[in-house]
Amino acid sequence: MTTLNARASRRRRSPLGSRWTPYVFLLPAAAYIFVFQAIPLLQEVYLSFTRTNLLNPTRSEWIGFDNYTRVFASSDFQQTLGTTAVYVIACVVGAVGSGLVVALLLNGSFPGRGIARALVTVPWAAPGIATALIATWMLNAQYGIITRALRAIGVDVGESGILDNPDLALPAILLTTIWQLFPFVAVVLLSALQSVPTELVEAAEMDGANRLWVFRVVTWPVIRPTVGLIALLMTIWSLRRFELIWLMTRGGPLGTTRTLVIDLYSQAFDSKQLGAAAAIGMVGVVIAMIVVVGSRLVTRAAEKDTA
Amino acid sequence: MATHTFRRSRLGGIALLAVAGLTLSACSTGGSSDSAEGGEIEPATITFAASTFGDPGLGPRLQELVDEYNASQDIVTIEPAAVPFPTFGQTVLTQMGGGEGPDLVRFDMPEFTSAADAGLLEPLDDKIDADELGLQEGPDQYMFVNDERYGVIFDTSNYVMYYNTDLIPEPPTTFDEFMDVAKATTQGDVYGLAFRQTQAEENGVWQDIFNYVYGFGGEWSDGEELTLNNPKNVEGLEAYQSLYDANVIPKGADAATFRKMFAQNKVGMELNNGGYLVATRGTNPDLNFSVAPIPFPVRAQGAIMAPIVINANSEHKDAAMDFINWVLEAENQTSLQEALGASSVATKTTRSDEQLAETPFLPVYDELTNSSSPQIVVGFGPQTADIRKIVVTQVISALQGQQTMEEALDNAQDEAEQIVG
Amino acid sequence: MKRVRIGVVGRMIGVLIVLGIAVFPIYWMFTTALTSDADLFAPEPRWFPDFGQFYVFVDALAEGPTLTWLANSTIVAIGTTVFSIGLGIPLAYALSRFSFKGKVAVGLLLLMTQMLPEALMVVPLFSLYRRFELLDSLAGLILANTAFVLPIVALVLKGAIDGIPKELEEAGRVDGARPLAVLLRINVPIILPSIAAAAVIAFFHAWNEYVFAVTFIFNKSLQPASVGLAGFIGEQGTAIQTIMAVAFMFTLPAVAFYLFAQKYVVSGMTAGAVKG
Repeated sequence: MTTLNARASRRRRSPLGSRWTPYVFLLPAAAYIFVFQAIPLLQEVYLSFTRTNLLNPTRSEWIGFDNYTRVFASSDFQQTLGTTAVYVIACVVGAVGSGLVVALLLNGSFPGRGIARALVTVPWAAPGIATALIATWMLNAQYGIITRALRAIGVDVGESGILDNPDLALPAILLTTIWQLFPFVAVVLLSALQSVPTELVEAAEMDGANRLWVFRVVTWPVIRPTVGLIALLMTIWSLRRFELIWLMTRGGPLGTTRTLVIDLYSQAFDSKQLGAAAAIGMVGVVIAMIVVVGSRLVTRAAEKDTA
Repeated sequence: MATHTFRRSRLGGIALLAVAGLTLSACSTGGSSDSAEGGEIEPATITFAASTFGDPGLGPRLQELVDEYNASQDIVTIEPAAVPFPTFGQTVLTQMGGGEGPDLVRFDMPEFTSAADAGLLEPLDDKIDADELGLQEGPDQYMFVNDERYGVIFDTSNYVMYYNTDLIPEPPTTFDEFMDVAKATTQGDVYGLAFRQTQAEENGVWQDIFNYVYGFGGEWSDGEELTLNNPKNVEGLEAYQSLYDANVIPKGADAATFRKMFAQNKVGMELNNGGYLVATRGTNPDLNFSVAPIPFPVRAQGAIMAPIVINANSEHKDAAMDFINWVLEAENQTSLQEALGASSVATKTTRSDEQLAETPFLPVYDELTNSSSPQIVVGFGPQTADIRKIVVTQVISALQGQQTMEEALDNAQDEAEQIVG
Repeated sequence: MKRVRIGVVGRMIGVLIVLGIAVFPIYWMFTTALTSDADLFAPEPRWFPDFGQFYVFVDALAEGPTLTWLANSTIVAIGTTVFSIGLGIPLAYALSRFSFKGKVAVGLLLLMTQMLPEALMVVPLFSLYRRFELLDSLAGLILANTAFVLPIVALVLKGAIDGIPKELEEAGRVDGARPLAVLLRINVPIILPSIAAAAVIAFFHAWNEYVFAVTFIFNKSLQPASVGLAGFIGEQGTAIQTIMAVAFMFTLPAVAFYLFAQKYVVSGMTAGAVKG
């Protein structure tokens, strides 16, 4: 909290450093987000209380909470929520964990480091559609290289292959997602690792300190906020990931890969029910909000602990 | 009518051309162009969306036809719109619902009926004279929604049984033979049959099971009420399931894969429509294959019927209509027909000797026209997409052993009734 | 606890495994593009590309408007990057350095907007775009994509600015510099590595985006590569090799961009040291 004193002193130092200054910095982005995100979002909130057809989006019939009651009453939606939870948690844990390991690997010095750092971003640079296509092909039930390899070492993936197997489809999509995401985590953490005081690490290592200990005491505190931020973003991104799942399984088999967004898309564009789709979207937004607020509380508690 | 005035005006020649060039930029920035009835067609560049533009076999042929039209006159230019097949319906309908969209669209039946029902298509009653043009009645009857005409058949194509003549010298003529041949052909990495059976290809599964339902005497509705769990439907889909359980198909394979497999002699039979002919030849010109009617108890099968329509939002409806009129001219119908391979067009055209020599089995497709139905739920056209989703989800769950086919269709009936109200 | 020492060799082995996992699917994309149908559907996989099939790449470049697609994607991606960094820096600065009414709300809103899926926003944005005449233009795509990446760009940059000691800025202020000048002269150079990271995020997001691109662009010559790529998936047939070839060519420029940005990420190391 800035005290009155501090604020006053700032004003004295700089003519423009008034209490309006933050708003001046904020304004362009805020106006932008208001127009391109807030207005459409408010429209969606309204739509979620209406029956609205995709083909006639300007004609809406107010139906109160009907969309919400219908959505929550459906047993399919409960499955959707469960699948979403598993998918999101596994994505976050998998991507952050593997990304951190890769960032630490790449942070040291070794020959060819520049090339390695560039190559590792390849999965993330690959367009989502290209990833879905190559993953689908590699998992192809008859000719997929992964299917063939698994069969060759005696793993039974079932007649109809991995993506059509209700037990394996979600794990396959998860691994594809993690493959796509870990470079992002690695790149961001790598840049956070640059702030770790190298002298300290070197000094500690010179003293013969255990690497894990050095990591916990020196490195982790520096990168922890970044890890938190990334975990939060991974959560939110995973809640809204679409193309990959849609192209690979379209939510099947048996709804085992149907996440909130897949459900939403299919409501909006197959069933053409924008109202029902908006209601599903709002459930997602509320979940995201809970996650965001929850993570804030956790961070604050953690800060208190260390303080 | 518009064509004639337009032709005359073209004689006006160069002067008009110059004007055309000048006005082109003006009208493309969105000037209203409710053009004068009976007057000239306003020069325009209009867009035409068809999912077939992306097809490796058909796409270039369709493009040639459009080029031919563009070269035939200097006033209207048709450009293919950029809408990829995987999200074709969703994209075009979103654009049209939002007040935009391509001027001309080649739709599939479910999207066509939804769009017409929502008032997104230009009524064509006054612009099309079916008798004078000689439109084929069978498919043309489906161009009406709420008693109003909203489209003209662009291409239509009946479902037949494709079979590899090297693997299967004699085509089966009954379902039992079909099953036996499929089993006998399945050896090593060769499969007797292929069809779609995954959620990822919902639309394709719907197209495929349609033939089993109709081929066993079933139907999705009696025109008034849904009859999804009709015993005949159950019988047909149990037959479909028995093939799945017999392990005669490459399970989990999507159409892109198993069609390539068919072209590589790895799949013996496939039920598909006439559009497949061009694609298969394009993939492997040396493949020996033929077609026969689907050997199910009842001679009834699905057909792709694809109307060409004018977007009600279009600012260049007369220009769009000019293209439709041009396509419907006898000589252009013939060239469209030839471009499409085994599909049919709006009017009855004769197959040339040349074509018949190249593809002797072309008459097989044509003879099925009267027993073919579009893949919609009759009487529930606009809701077909919803019903499709429900049915396909339930049927796949039966294939996966979660329930019997009978239970699946009972559940589908219950769910669908709630939706259609 | 046992001492864990990873020598250079150990690290190299780890890196090689990671690189194998990262690059193999892309290698497989390339190999699939250069494999004939007969080999593709053979009982045994073909492990290496068949360069006799190289015409697939040539044809994809010559026949399809692949280069136009790539150019459009480049414009959209660079535009989005510039725009979101330009808007993101002041936003991040405000969130990091000032406390003001509604700050928590702004932060929450930023994260919430990240939740909104494109599929949900596409219909309201369509009508908005129609009113502003932004449909069928690359500028429209840049604006839409910026809205989606701006929050994360701002959050990444805020994290970086948080790490800059206030004393550095105080020094600037004593010189009588205005806040904007302080931001540009003192903060921006220090957070360059984070700007580079944020730029990479923005670039890749815009490079890959599909839902907006397919709905908002009608004109074929304005199509970005993500849409063009999907256009190869056909109703009756899909040329697996062509798709893989185009997908591969679509992946390369993004990697090249990263190589370009990486220089700054690395040079940021020195900037980071100043602070320590």
